Order: sequence, then C-alpha cells, then structure tokens
Amino acid sequence: MNKLLLISTCIILTITSFAQKIKIISANDSVPFIQLNEVTVKGLIKNQDQQIKDFIIANKAATTEDILARFPEINMIRRGSYGTEPLIRTYNTGQVNVLIDGMRIHGACTDKMDPATIYVEPQNLQNIQVNTKHGTQSGSCIGGTIDLKLVEPDSETTNQLSGYISSGYQTAAKSFYETGMLNYTKKRWSIRTNISYRKASDYKSGGGITIPYSSYEKINYGISAKYLLNNQYSIKADILMDDGWNIGYPALPMDVGYAAARIAAISLIKEKSNTKWFGTEYKIYANSIYHLMDDTHRKNVAMHMDMPGHSKTFGGYMNTNLQLSSKQNIHFRADISSTDLMASMTMYQNNQSPMFMLTWPDNRSIQSGLSATYKNYIDSITTITLSTRIDQFINSLKTQAAKDQLSILQEPTETISKTLKNISVELSHYINPHLKGFVVASYAERMPTASELYGFYLFNAFDNFDYIGNTLLKKENALKADLGVVYTKPKLQLSFSVFASKVNNYILGIYDPTYSTMTIGAQGVKLYRNIPYAQMTGLEAGIISKLTNNVQLISTFKYNYGRDHYNNPLPLIAPFKNITSLKKQIKNWSFQFETETAAAQNRVSVDAKENTTNGFFIANTRSSYSGILYKKAYRIDVGVENIFDKAYKEHLDWGNINRPGRNIYIQISFAF
Amino acid sequence: MKRNLILSAFAVAFSIFLLTSCSKDTTTIPDPTIGYLKLASGYAAGSATKVEIFATDSAFTGYNKFYIALTDSITGAFIENAQITLTPTMTMPMMSHSAPKENPSSTNAVDKLFPCSVSFIMASMSGTWTLAVNVQNLVNNKTGTVTFTINVKDPSLAKMFSFVSLADNTTKFFVGFIPPTKPIVGINDFEFVVYKKQTMMMFPADSSLNVSFIPTMPTMGHSSPNNVNPVYIGNGHYKGKVNFTMTGLWRMSMTFNAGTTLSDSTHYFDFNF
Repeated sequence: MNKLLLISTCIILTITSFAQKIKIISANDSVPFIQLNEVTVKGLIKNQDQQIKDFIIANKAATTEDILARFPEINMIRRGSYGTEPLIRTYNTGQVNVLIDGMRIHGACTDKMDPATIYVEPQNLQNIQVNTKHGTQSGSCIGGTIDLKLVEPDSETTNQLSGYISSGYQTAAKSFYETGMLNYTKKRWSIRTNISYRKASDYKSGGGITIPYSSYEKINYGISAKYLLNNQYSIKADILMDDGWNIGYPALPMDVGYAAARIAAISLIKEKSNTKWFGTEYKIYANSIYHLMDDTHRKNVAMHMDMPGHSKTFGGYMNTNLQLSSKQNIHFRADISSTDLMASMTMYQNNQSPMFMLTWPDNRSIQSGLSATYKNYIDSITTITLSTRIDQFINSLKTQAAKDQLSILQEPTETISKTLKNISVELSHYINPHLKGFVVASYAERMPTASELYGFYLFNAFDNFDYIGNTLLKKENALKADLGVVYTKPKLQLSFSVFASKVNNYILGIYDPTYSTMTIGAQGVKLYRNIPYAQMTGLEAGIISKLTNNVQLISTFKYNYGRDHYNNPLPLIAPFKNITSLKKQIKNWSFQFETETAAAQNRVSVDAKENTTNGFFIANTRSSYSGILYKKAYRIDVGVENIFDKAYKEHLDWGNINRPGRNIYIQISFAF
Repeated sequence: MKRNLILSAFAVAFSIFLLTSCSKDTTTIPDPTIGYLKLASGYAAGSATKVEIFATDSAFTGYNKFYIALTDSITGAFIENAQITLTPTMTMPMMSHSAPKENPSSTNAVDKLFPCSVSFIMASMSGTWTLAVNVQNLVNNKTGTVTFTINVKDPSLAKMFSFVSLADNTTKFFVGFIPPTKPIVGINDFEFVVYKKQTMMMFPADSSLNVSFIPTMPTMGHSSPNNVNPVYIGNGHYKGKVNFTMTGLWRMSMTFNAGTTLSDSTHYFDFNF
C-alpha cells in the first residue's frame, strides 16, 4: 500500500511538473554504456566492456563521429569526410538531443554542417551515453539523447604527472592524427589538459578515385581542473576549444572556411553523502560557435557568397537523486538554457549592392525544464521506472530586421511559447536468471527547430530544394513502444530490441510550386509543415560471444523502417546493416577481422528525390601490440580498412559520393 | 520646521521646472530643410516671398517629390499659409510641352514646407525644363510667380516609362516609380503614379488601369512570395506591397490592363538597395 501510495504521489508530482533526469543508464541493453577515456594504452582492463569498447572504437584514430557510427542505434548523415550528423534510429536531427556533458549546444550552420559532435574529440570524452528508452530526461525530444560526457582530470593516479602522446597516419586521405594529454594531480587539485590535431587531404574512394573537396584540418584543445573542497564537495571547471579550417563537404556546394567552438562549464559536485540525497551536481555553462561557409575553393561558382553563422548558448542545470528506500529512488533534474542563433548570406555581383539576407533571422530560444525519474526495484527480478519531464520553450525573433524579413512569409512573428510534456514507463523483468526482458511505453513531444520555425530559403543539397520555416508549426508528439530481451550466459550474450513509434504532426518540407527558388539551380521551395503522422519501426540485435579463451565474436544488427501517412517511405532511413568482428588475443598481440554488410535501400522517398542505394560488403583487419619500454607502456595499432578497395556508399551519404577506399593506418601511442 | 522644509523643497522643484522650461524656450527651432538638397531659390516678384525648392535628390526623369519653402523676403520667417501652383514646361527648338505635377494638396504647410511633385517625362538634353511657381501668399495676401530652370537628368536606373496602350493604340501613359524611402529586407510599399497624356500641356492622373507585377532579382533569377498588386489610391497613385527577400537589385516587371484587355506588359522598374 505504501508503495502504491508512493507511486501515485510520484505520478501526481511528476504530472504537476516535477521533473527528473538521467540516471547513468546504458543506452540500450544491447550496447552498454561505453567508456572512452582509453585512447591511452595504460590500464587496459580485459573484461567484456573493454571488448565492446574496442569494438566501438575500432580505429584508435577514430573521430567522435566514427565512434558514434558504430553504435547500432545511431545512423550518420554524411556530407563530407568530417562533420557527419548523428541520428538515432529513424529520427532526424530535430528529434534528437545531442548534449555535451549535459550542456545544450547548437551548431552555427544553417546547413547542418556542424553537429555538436564535430567539436568534441574522443580524447575529451569519458563516455558516450545514448539513451533511447528515456531519452527525454535531459530535454524534451522524441528520438532520444546522445550525451557526450567529458573526461575528468584523474586524481587517483599514482604519478603526480602522467599523460600520453599518440601519433598516426592513414593512407586513404593521407591524414595525420596527433594527440597528447597531460594530467597533473597534487593534494586536492587535479588538472588535465589535452590537444589533438588532424589534417587530411582529399581522400581516395574505392578504385582509387580522389574525392575533391574532402580535405580538412582541425585542432582541438582543452583544459579541465578539479578541486576537492572537502570530503563531500568538489568543484570542476572545463574549457574546450575547437578550431577547424577548410573542412570540405563534397556533397554540398560550399565548404567550411573556418569554424570555432568555445565551450566552458563550471560544476559543483557532491559525490558522497550521508543523507538520502546523493549524486548532486550543479553546473553553469556557456558555449559559442562561429561558423563560416566558404566557396572560394570551388570551381565554376556562379556567384561568390559569404555565409557566416553564430550560435551562443548559456545555461545551467542541477541533478540530484533521492533514495526513498533501499529499493526506490528518484532522480531529479532542473535545467534552463538560452540559445541565440543568427546566420546570414551575402552574395556579390558587379554593378549592384551586395545581396544580403538573414538565413536564420536573429532568434532566441529559452528553454526551462524539470524532470523526475522514479525507479522501484520491486523485487530482485522486477524493476519499474517512471520517467517524466516538462519543458517550457519561449522562442522569439530578436531584431526588427528579423521580423521584417519573416513577415514576407505572412506568418506571425510574435514570440512562440510552448509547453512540452514527456512521460515514459519501463518495466524490466528477469524471466529466468539468464533472460531479462523489458518493455517501455512512452509519450514524447518536441519543439520545432530554429530552422523549421525561422529558416529562410535554406538550401538542402539532399533533395536540391530551398526550405522555408513556419512559425505556425505545431510541436511534434510521439507514442513510442520499445520491447527487448537480453540473454546472458558466461560466454554468450544475446540481445534483441524492437521499437515502434507513431509521430503525430510530423514536421516535413512540403513542395510549394508558387514559391521561386533562391538558390541558383535548386528545384523548388519546400515549406515546413506538420503532416498528420509518420510511423517508424526498427530493431537492433547484438551477439557477444567468447568462442574460446582468447577469441571473441561481436556482431550487431540494425534495421529501420519509416513511412508517412500516405504510406510513402520517409527519406533518410538506413537499411539493414551488420557489423561483425572476430578478435583473437595472443599475449601482447591482438588481431581483429571485421566485416560491414549493408542491404540495399530501395524504399526511398520520391518527394525527397531520394535515390536508391546498393548494398555493400567491406572487410577490415586490425591488429595491435602493447609493450613496455623503459617501464613505460606503448602500443602500436595497425590496420587495413576496406581491404578490397570497394567503391561503396551508405544510404545516408549525400551526393552519391563514395566512402574511402582501402585505408591503411598506423597509430603509435606512448604513455607515461 | 517641517513645513519650511517642504516649502523649500517645493521652491527648489519649482525653480528647476522654470529653469528647464526656460531652456526649452531658448532652443533653436530645427531647420525643416535639413537633410534635403536645395534645387533652386528665387523671389516670387510681387508677393514679397522667397521661394526655395528642396528635394532628396537632384532632379531626374520621373516622379520628383519636391518640398517648397516659402519665407518672408524681409523677415525670413517661414510662411506656412499659401496657395502654390506649379507649371513645368519643356522648351525645345520646335515645340514645348508640360509635365505631370501635383500642386501642394493644402494651403497649409506640413512642418513648414509644402510637399508637391513634378514628374519630368524626359531629361534636359534636347531642351530646357523650367518650373514656374505661382505663390499666393495668404499671410500678406500678395501673389507672384518665380520661374526656375531645372536641370533634369536620366537616373542610372530608369524611374519612369511611357507606353501607348495596346487596348486602343492611342492613349499614352506615363508611369513614375516612387521608390520606398526606407527599403528593408521584408515587406515594402510599392507605389507609382500613372498619368495620361491628354494634350501637350495636360497630363491628368489616371485611375483606369488594373495592375499586376512580378518582382525578380535579375542576377539571381528568383522572385519573392506574397506580393500585393498595386491598386488605385487617388491622385494617380497606385499602391501595393513588394517583398524583397534580400538586398540588391530588384526588377518589378509590370503588367497593365484596361479592364481585362492587355494594355502593356513590356516595362519594368529597377530598384537597387
């Protein structure tokens, strides 16, 4: 009875807008929560998690987006060799929250060239949390959350000064990856600083064809410091900076001339506690992104244009947990943020004034939210989780010029205010000691994005249409169900999950022949509209098997399906894909053989002018050697990706541009 | 004591009030012609009135908005009450003709100036434009006329065109563009005047045309959405809305219909901002 009372109180509390948030839960049981701070060679723990980690971070020179691409729940939209955009399952960018260490960050590019993930290097990361089940905890969304947790300075190391350096080369793009880290700890202080540099030329796709405008150069550097105030509290400051130059986007008509991200945060953390409240964290943060598109390297440009974009976000949040009893706890989160966006375009032509317009008319989105997650371990085999969130969004145009420009569209330019509600219930249960099942039912809402609300003739190279925002858009809402089982034996883990959702008021660009295109060569103009609904479904499966004492098999499968209310396929739905890796460990050596197989995608969106994509099969080999030199650990990674130099592309790759062909890489790392 | 305090406070407040109102009185009246260009000035003989013509730009072929300042020829004080009549004349070796014009609509000045317009239908190339300004000074009840020579140039982007209606093959229309004074990327007024050539000297305003237009950027090839076709608003003026989606050179391609019969669709106005 008490329990019931508690649950109902909790429901009432949550409904009346109490809030909740993230427990550090794994994304999905098929791929547990991935620790990433092991780009280094030391302290490699040889357990199952490590194997998964090695599977996910296959190539030691992988970028954050390469790593994300290995998650079965994630699909990447690729427009160039850098800056690929992560999607969860069938959900698009506007439907997914991408956070950096709980912080909101918004790319400054109207053409989505800079998802937040481009500004974070793997060496900045402690782990990546992909949450599809209760993905709304840290922000209303319908597709789930990707949170890139930043690594903390190591205060428990025995060396006062420790670190690593790593250097490598890859042949496909003649690219270099250089990285280093220093960690210093003394008494209550610990400080970590890192830097990494990447430079790549235009890469060669399968068959040796060079892909023009695919080169890039970037540097990422950061420092974080942690100070233990007392037994309970610590304070942490993070500064992360990223600068990129001449990042090529072969699938787009423009490249990035310069992009800079500045990210800063201060957190107060109460880790240990004698009371019922635990795991409390307060954080304030700010980030700014400046992004400059560039066409000066392109040949045959009809008209030169400048397209700068700027994004600024300030915010703060508080996380805490309340232990109600030995079996029940609640996680709370309260957060607030404000994001300013502006982007413009200027074109130059002789004998007339420069042609200037705002592509993102100056706008501000203020978000505040509360979430609460109640977890009850009813007995040793059954757990119930109730997760709720409420968000208030206030979106407004900041300048008269922004309002003047959008008034052309004959839509309201007044402030938009929306309340978003999210709720999900999960029941997980051990059917027998080896078989765990879970079922999740949820209702989620999301706010239209700035581009969907305010975008002004934003060119989309995917379907070759200009897109215009709509301030009258309704929020999307989704009814979702997830079902899954995990079968675990000492040497075998099988996991399978299936999801289905119906997204009402699905936001889609609809062709309007009365509008004339802004972009020279575009086929027409699409206006963002709410279509009645779209339906999506899909599945993920995984096998982790220890075949012998030193041979391990990991295989992941994914399949997605989406259709609109007319039963037409949704665009950008990835087909079936499998990645299988077989790894053998012989003393200090490890050898890995890997295959990637994707089916063809013939279900394509005619409205989006989407092309079908052929299936492909590629194979990779990887090997590594770990050794000790002068009492210091070192590691050499060597591998060949796309051994057979296949010309292939994935369905979410834009512009019919093939991926890299045979790529031989070597990365040498040294720790001290 | 307390009363004294209140009293002195009141006194202080009152003197501050007096001082500030004094200082207001002493401020000079802003010159109403600031920001305008003086095109001509002279005395309207017999009316004891100095006549000055101001505009935002030097005179050009097209609809010229003028602001006439009248001042007492002795005191220099602005005369804000007068009846003004304009007579533009083009004198050429073989002939002469007039041009469409708008006399000040009221005998009362607006902010000390008399707004009016002259639509010069050609440049001063093959002849001479004069503008006779007849002033009936209602302050001193004297009347006089002054005639100015105005140098009219063709603007780099044409602001006026004429056509003979296809509907009857006889009526000649002059259409003068009135560009938005503060153009924005957004919704702008699209205004122009239409005059009919009745005789060489008579160019009455015309309200008979149905107008539609398409704005495009000639160098880009695109249009803009949700424009509003101009409709007649009086005195030869037609007004609608043009949406500029960016700065730069815009071309408004015009279609005129007499009823439903096509009158002309070969002309356009260019506007660069």
